[in-house]
Amino acid sequence: MNCTNKLTWLPVLCGLAAAAAAQTPDTVSEKDYLEDVPVVLSVSRLPQRLDETPGAVTIIDRQTIRLSGARDVADLLRLVPGFRVSDAFESNTPMGSYHLGLSDYNAQLQVLVDGRSVYSPYLNGATGPGLQAVALEDIERIEVHRGSNSAAYGARAFLGTINIVTRSAADSLGTAVALRGGDNEIQDAYLRHGWGDDRATYRLSADQRADRGLAGSSGPDRVSRVNFRGDLNLGRRDQLELRAGQSVISAGVGFAGQYGNAPRTRTIDTAYLQADWKHNLDVDQDLAVQYSYMQEQTADYFPYLDPAVPVYYGGPIDAGGHGNSQSLTATHTTRWGADLRLAWGGELRRESLVSQPRFDTDAEFVTDFSRLFLNSEWHLRPELVLNVGGMFEHSSIGGDAFSPRVMLNWHVAPGHTLRYGVSRAHRTPSLFEQYARVVYRDLTSGAVLLTAVQGTQTVQPENILARELGYLGYWPALNAELDVRIFEETITDFIKEQQDAGGPKYFANREDFTIHGGEFQLKWKPWHDAQLLLAHSLTDSTKLLQDPAWQTPVAMTGLMFSQRLPGQVDVSLLYSQIDPIQFPYAAVRAPATSRTDVRVAKALRLGGKDAEVSLVIQNLGPAYQDFSPDFYFRRQAYLMLRLEN
Amino acid sequence: MKVALRYLLQLLAPLGLAVGVNAAEPAVLVVSSERGAAYQEAAAAAAGEIGRVGDPRHEVQQLALAELANYRGSAPRLYIALGSEACAALARSATTAPVLCTLLPRVGFERIVRESGRRTGPAFSALYLNQPLGRQLDLVRVALPQARRVGVLWGPDSQFNAPPLESAAQARGLQVVGATIKPDELVFSGLKTILEQADLLLAIADPHIYNSNSIQNILLASFRAQVPMLAFSPAYVRAGALMAVYSTPAQIGQQAGALARAALQGQALGAPQHPLQFEVSVNEHVARSLGLKLDAASLTERLRRLERGS
Repeated sequence: MNCTNKLTWLPVLCGLAAAAAAQTPDTVSEKDYLEDVPVVLSVSRLPQRLDETPGAVTIIDRQTIRLSGARDVADLLRLVPGFRVSDAFESNTPMGSYHLGLSDYNAQLQVLVDGRSVYSPYLNGATGPGLQAVALEDIERIEVHRGSNSAAYGARAFLGTINIVTRSAADSLGTAVALRGGDNEIQDAYLRHGWGDDRATYRLSADQRADRGLAGSSGPDRVSRVNFRGDLNLGRRDQLELRAGQSVISAGVGFAGQYGNAPRTRTIDTAYLQADWKHNLDVDQDLAVQYSYMQEQTADYFPYLDPAVPVYYGGPIDAGGHGNSQSLTATHTTRWGADLRLAWGGELRRESLVSQPRFDTDAEFVTDFSRLFLNSEWHLRPELVLNVGGMFEHSSIGGDAFSPRVMLNWHVAPGHTLRYGVSRAHRTPSLFEQYARVVYRDLTSGAVLLTAVQGTQTVQPENILARELGYLGYWPALNAELDVRIFEETITDFIKEQQDAGGPKYFANREDFTIHGGEFQLKWKPWHDAQLLLAHSLTDSTKLLQDPAWQTPVAMTGLMFSQRLPGQVDVSLLYSQIDPIQFPYAAVRAPATSRTDVRVAKALRLGGKDAEVSLVIQNLGPAYQDFSPDFYFRRQAYLMLRLEN
Repeated sequence: MKVALRYLLQLLAPLGLAVGVNAAEPAVLVVSSERGAAYQEAAAAAAGEIGRVGDPRHEVQQLALAELANYRGSAPRLYIALGSEACAALARSATTAPVLCTLLPRVGFERIVRESGRRTGPAFSALYLNQPLGRQLDLVRVALPQARRVGVLWGPDSQFNAPPLESAAQARGLQVVGATIKPDELVFSGLKTILEQADLLLAIADPHIYNSNSIQNILLASFRAQVPMLAFSPAYVRAGALMAVYSTPAQIGQQAGALARAALQGQALGAPQHPLQFEVSVNEHVARSLGLKLDAASLTERLRRLERGS
C-alpha cells in the first residue's frame, strides 16, 4: 500500500490496512483453486430483491441522476410517486414532502445517508439539510421506500424513507472535476480525488451549489460541502468504513419591509463523523457496528427595527443555536436455513441542543433514545415471502413506543408480485415542540414583554397506522417494470402549531386524519438506449385534515425520458405536473403547475480524459409558484462540463 | 485391506511416523506438496482407484515432499506428484520412473516443464486441476442463456488463455470482453470497463488479479453492477461468486489413479489432460438476489450431458 505520497494525515488508516495485508503469491498454483477466500457477499450485504421487499421502492440510480440534469437530491424527488418538491431555501433547504403538504421541516420522513439518519434535531427533525449532506456526484443511488417502515429504517420512517447510498471509494478512484454555470447566477463546482489499493480506498470531495435563489426570495443561496470516505479491508473478516464531512448551507432569507422577517443570511453548518465496522462471523452471520456523531449550528439573527414598536427597536430576533447527536448501533444479521433471514439489534442515541433564543435558557437539552429492532424475511413457500419486523423505542421525551410492521409478498406468477401489509409508527415530538420558549424582552430591564412560543411539555408522539396493497410486475419482453401502491394512512395525534387568542404559539396533538390514494411508477426501456420513467399519484388528504396547507395535491405526475443518440449524445426530457394546492403561509391555493426540463449532453475525450458537456434548460414554460406565493421558479439554463480520469 | 493398512500408516506419516516407509516396495509413490486436506483427499482417492482391482502388485505409498529426501524404499514404477512443488521437485530429480503431475493448474505445469527442461510424454505428464475453457463457456450458455458478452480480466499468469478463449467463445456464439491488468497495476480501471460492457465476469485464476485482498472489491463491484461472477473454485462461490465449475481433489485423485493403473498395466501416460469429472457449485443466495433460479445438480448434469454429446 502506497502511503507515502498521499495525504499524510491518514497514517493510522494506512497502518491498519497494511497490517491486514497478506502477501500476494507470485504465480498461479493449485493454492488459487484450493484455498479459502473471505466471504464477501455475506448475509447482510445481499439486498432484498425488489419483489421481496416489504413495500414500494423507487430507485434513482447514478445514470438517472446524471441524465436528469438535477442539481440536488430534492430536485430528483419529483420523479418519485407522491412526492412534492420545493426548491426554496426559505425554511431550511430544498426538500420533498410525501403525502403531506410542504412545511417548514417535513419531519415525517426518514433520510439516511449510508445508513446514518441525517435529520436535524435542531430544526425540529427537518429533512432538508440531510438531503444536502452529499454532492450528487458522490451518490451511487437513491432508494425511496414509500410507506411507513420504522421497523426497518428507524424511528423517523413515519411516512417514508429516502435512503441515499454514496459511491464506494473503489468506484470513484482518480480525479474528477465538474463545473456548472448559467442563468440565475448558477455557479456549481465539484472536485473529487480518489486513491488507494486493494486493501484500502479513499475519496475526498469538495463542492458547492450556488445560485441567486427563487425569484422573489432574498437569495443568494449557497451549499458548500466537503466529504471524505475510506473503505478499509482489515483482514479476511473485517471491514471498516470511515466517513466525515461538513456542509454549510448559507441562504438569503426574509423580506424587505418585514420587520419581523428582515432580509438576512442564515447559515446551517453541519459536520459529521461516521465509522462502520463490519465483521463476518461465518457464511450465514454478520455483525455490524455503526457509530456516528453529528453537530449542527444554525446562525439566524437580525435586529428588530420596526419604528412603530419602540420597546423592541434594535432588539434581536434570533433562531440560532447548536446541537449534536451521537448514535451507536449494533446489528446482527443471520440466516437460518435457506428460508429465513433475520436482522436484529439495538441503538443508543443521544441528542442535545442549546439555544438561548429558542428555549430561553443556556441550558443543554438532552434527549436519550434506546431502541431495539428486529426484522425477518421468511420464505414461507417459494411464492410467499413474509416480512415481519418491529422496533421498540424508549425515549426520555416521548416514553415508550412500539412500531411493528408485517407484509406478505405473493409471487402470483413469474415476474408478478402482490403485496399486502400493515404497519404502525410513531414520531416523537422534537425538543422545540415540547420545550420551546421564545420570548422578547425589554432591552433595558430584561423583563419579558412578549412570549411568542411556549412549549406545553405535554405533547405526545404522533402515530400512524398504514395499510397498503401493492403490485410489482415485470415484462421482460417489453423491458417494462410497473409498481402500484394503494394506501390508507391514518394519522392520529398529529402535532401542529397552535395559538389561542392573545396567547403564545405552542404545539399540541391536534388532528386525526386519513390520507388515502394510489400511486404507480413505470420504468420502461422501449427500445435500445432509451428509458422512460413515469410516476403518478392520486392522493386524498382532505379527510378530516382541516388545514389546507398540510394537504397534498390530488394529482401529481413526474416523467423522464432519456435517449442515447449516435455520437455519444444523450438527450433527456423531464416533466412534472402538480394540481392546485395551498402553500404553508398562503391564504389561497396556488394554481396547478407544470415544469419541463431538457438536457442535451455529449461525451467526448478532452486532454486524454473522459469528458461530458451538457446543456440543461429547466422550466421551459412560464415561471411557477414555489413554497410561497411570492416565490417563483423561472426558466433557467446552464452549461456543465465534467472531466474524469 | 493391505492397501488400506498401508494408507493408514501413511496418514500417520505427517505425525512424524514416516520412518517405516523404507520397508515398502511400492508400485506407485504419491508425493504431496503439502499435507493439507485437499492433498490427502486426492491421495486417498488415487490409492483407492489404483487398488480397486485388488492386484497385490499395485501398492501405493504416500509421502509428503518434505519426506522424500528420507525415502529409503525401492524405486516405484510410477510417481504421482500432487501439487506444483512436488511436480517441480520430481521434474528436477534423476528418477527414471514416469511422473504424473496432478492437482496443479496447467499454467503451473507448463512453467515446470519450461524451467526443468523436461519434455511431456510417456515419462512426464499431467492431469490438470483447472477446467478446460470450453467447459466454463458451456456453463455460461447453460446457466445464463441470455448472456452474450463474457468479461475477463487478464493478468500475467492468465493472459496466454486469451486467444483460445476467444475462439472457444466464438464457437459458442459468445463475445469476450477482455481487459489486461499489468503487473503492479490495480484491477479497478480494467474491472470498470468489464462491468460496463459484459454480462458476466469469467474469473480465470491469476493471483495478480484474484487473491484474498482483491476479491473484496471485485465481488462487491461486480455485484453492484449486477454482473455475476463465474469463478474457478467453490471457495469463490462461498465468497459471493454466482457459480463455479471445478473438480474436487477426490475427482482429480480418482482420475489420476485410473491413469496410474493403466500405466501399471503397460499403457503409456498420454498427453497432459484436463479433468473429466467436475462439479458445479451455485451460491443460491446470490442467485436469488440477482433474480436467477439455478440448481447446481441440474447444471452439473446438463453440462455432463453436453460433453457426452447426448
